[in-house]
Amino acid sequence: MICLIAMIVFGIMAIFSASHRPIAKEAFDCVFRRITLRKCQSGLDVKLKSKLVGTLMRKNSGLAKPVYKYFEVVSWLFVVLFFVSLFFSAQAVYNLAIYDNCNGPNADPETCIFTPNAEPVDCGDPLCDSGQCEICGDDCSCGECKE
Amino acid sequence: MNVEKIRENFPILKKNIVYLDSACMSLRPKQVIDKINEYYSEYPVCSGRSVHKFGLKLDGEMDNARKLIQKFIGAKKSSEIVFSKNTSESINLLSNSFKFDKVLLTDREHNSNLLPWQKFKYGVLRSKEDYTFDLEKFSEAIKNYDMVSFVYTSNIDGYTLPVREIVKIAHENKAKVHFDAAQAAPHKEINVKKLDVDFLTFSGHKMLGPTGTGAMYVKEKILDDMKPFLIGGETVSDSSYDSYVLESLPHRFEAGLQNYSGILGFGEAVKFLSKVGMSNIEDHEKKLVKAVDKDKIKEIGFKGERGIFNFNIPKIDFHEVAGLLDHSKNIMIRSGMHCAHSWYNSRQIKGSARASFYLYNTLEEVKIFNEELEKIRKLK
Repeated sequence: MICLIAMIVFGIMAIFSASHRPIAKEAFDCVFRRITLRKCQSGLDVKLKSKLVGTLMRKNSGLAKPVYKYFEVVSWLFVVLFFVSLFFSAQAVYNLAIYDNCNGPNADPETCIFTPNAEPVDCGDPLCDSGQCEICGDDCSCGECKE
Repeated sequence: MNVEKIRENFPILKKNIVYLDSACMSLRPKQVIDKINEYYSEYPVCSGRSVHKFGLKLDGEMDNARKLIQKFIGAKKSSEIVFSKNTSESINLLSNSFKFDKVLLTDREHNSNLLPWQKFKYGVLRSKEDYTFDLEKFSEAIKNYDMVSFVYTSNIDGYTLPVREIVKIAHENKAKVHFDAAQAAPHKEINVKKLDVDFLTFSGHKMLGPTGTGAMYVKEKILDDMKPFLIGGETVSDSSYDSYVLESLPHRFEAGLQNYSGILGFGEAVKFLSKVGMSNIEDHEKKLVKAVDKDKIKEIGFKGERGIFNFNIPKIDFHEVAGLLDHSKNIMIRSGMHCAHSWYNSRQIKGSARASFYLYNTLEEVKIFNEELEKIRKLK
């Protein structure tokens, strides 16, 4: 299943780098064969497996054995993690586009580095003096009661 | 033989690698690299055509390279050496230069020595159960053949055929003999005169030479009967619109501008090997294979003294074994069917991992190889 991640990762890299295109093609071929219930023939899965396990053998030989033995499970785990992270990334992009804040409408904009005009804390803001909004009197943090 | 001293001549070995894939491609010493550079930086011109000083210098260098190779295999004359791109090209040249009625091959031929003969009628001689050559069966079979084309030393398992006996029996039956020596010439002393073989082919890149270099030995008295397969530039001394006069031997077989830098490098490579001594190299390689820990590893093919170790680790894919060795300790080996698909397919073996040793490998490297094999074996 590692080929699925490889296809997406190398597919993106292949847009910018010609040297990654053959690997992306291999990965695509491998995924296509797997979803049609055939064995991957390109050998990419073997190459990726031996690269990962071989590196582990050098750095942490204790970990190499379980990773080798349960490589398919580990691969699935990475696939799930990949899609979970893809989901949260997509959600963040959506929030950013709609609310100018990647964490949603009610979140602190300072925690999202992509928020436009997100300024550092300015406690000298006269509208939010001493934690209270001068206009409405509510508790506020810097900039919040500007609107 | 001082291996440490030999290793100093190979710049690539400073990269902390354990190179065990010399049966596919050997590494090059700096002498060979320097010779290639010498051609390009000092006399980068044509040979056999131009009479200017660079041209004449190159002519001398080319003659010298041919003589070095002639001497290396014990040929009578340097004109018996025809340069080619590699062993495959040499065998194609041979199979296209004669018309044979029936060709006999062994069951362990590399594709290079199988496919070019399939246009003739041909037979395949099976090895014995222990993967050795069946001389008895050969003595019977040869009666129906006029050409024998056998591998000298197998690239599958490093087994060397009883070449002297084969030539003797074949000649008694009026058959010509060709040996594919791609895996023999780099590793053992060969004397074609003593062996009395008719044709011998080998590659430069497996014996410290540059890629794209090879040679074919043809016994002088047969050379004249050979029809050039490739003709054109430098193969003729004269031509008209309807005929041509062939060039002297061996130039008539070397069409077009040659790989001059490569051939000079090839000459330098055999000079290097001769200095070390071929019997020293052969003994050293056998020692290295002997030091491989074969416990719980399935050896493929011949198991006696040889310089190639072909194996499988039970339940682990051979490509994985090669990849794991590479990524864990920079150990480079080959995996697959080693261009001998017919041998593997006939035995229903999907492939194997192959470690091939050469003069620059050490016992220390074999120790590292053993340790890593043990770790890989324990992964399952």
